[in-house]
Amino acid sequence: MQAKRRSVGPVEVLELSGKITIGEGETELRKEVQDLLDAGHSRIVLSLEKVGFMDSAGLGELVACYKRANENGGRIKILRPSGKVADLLSLTKITEIFEIYEDEGEAIASF
Amino acid sequence: MSASGKITVSVASRVANVDLIHAISDQVATLVGFDTDEILNLGLAVREATINAIKHGNGLDPRKRVQVTFEFGEQGMTVAIRDRGKGFDLDAVADPTLPENLFQPSGRGLLLMKAFVDRVEVHEHEGKGAEVSLYKGLRNGVRQRKEGV
Repeated sequence: MQAKRRSVGPVEVLELSGKITIGEGETELRKEVQDLLDAGHSRIVLSLEKVGFMDSAGLGELVACYKRANENGGRIKILRPSGKVADLLSLTKITEIFEIYEDEGEAIASF
Repeated sequence: MSASGKITVSVASRVANVDLIHAISDQVATLVGFDTDEILNLGLAVREATINAIKHGNGLDPRKRVQVTFEFGEQGMTVAIRDRGKGFDLDAVADPTLPENLFQPSGRGLLLMKAFVDRVEVHEHEGKGAEVSLYKGLRNGVRQRKEGV
């Protein structure tokens, strides 16, 4: 998994790409989100457009990140999950946890 | 044209070997004749069963092996993932989509297995470990059979 950060006003957008799977991928996701929370960022958008694949460990880490952000007074929203990843989020009903947006502007304005 | 045969792979219980088994699944499924979407689905189910065997069945103990057998033919493919654990009751696994379980960081593997293959079974081998068996039928094979080819 690779991650690219950028700021849009008070919101941090984390553009993820590659695979979020057991081992390296889930660890990197945890670290990237934790770094943002540790730096005091409380509004985070995870862009999943370029994430092609996730397994149960990646899905679990996504949920864990959501919980950690909430515990730290922050919020995480998801932007543009790709085909298979969108299917997995829907199948596992993780879509009921996260707010999911197709438009970045709307995601940013939603905080 | 589809291939038939049986391949058995044995790996140590290390997380890095999940990718190896997944890659082998993709290769075999391609050879057998599954389409791209079916290969992805079968691979994900095999991946989840392998994660389960390495993490929960063998407790990430690299001295314990996970044996994966791919058996395939014109009708489809069965993948048996065997560990040294005690197995589990398919019906006793909590539904991760229930509101009270949605925030759990784990417990989604079986849901994915069931969603992406046609049949999931667990077999316990008294004192010799447990085996998760995944079966996925080949759509072309079924169609050919129905047409009497």
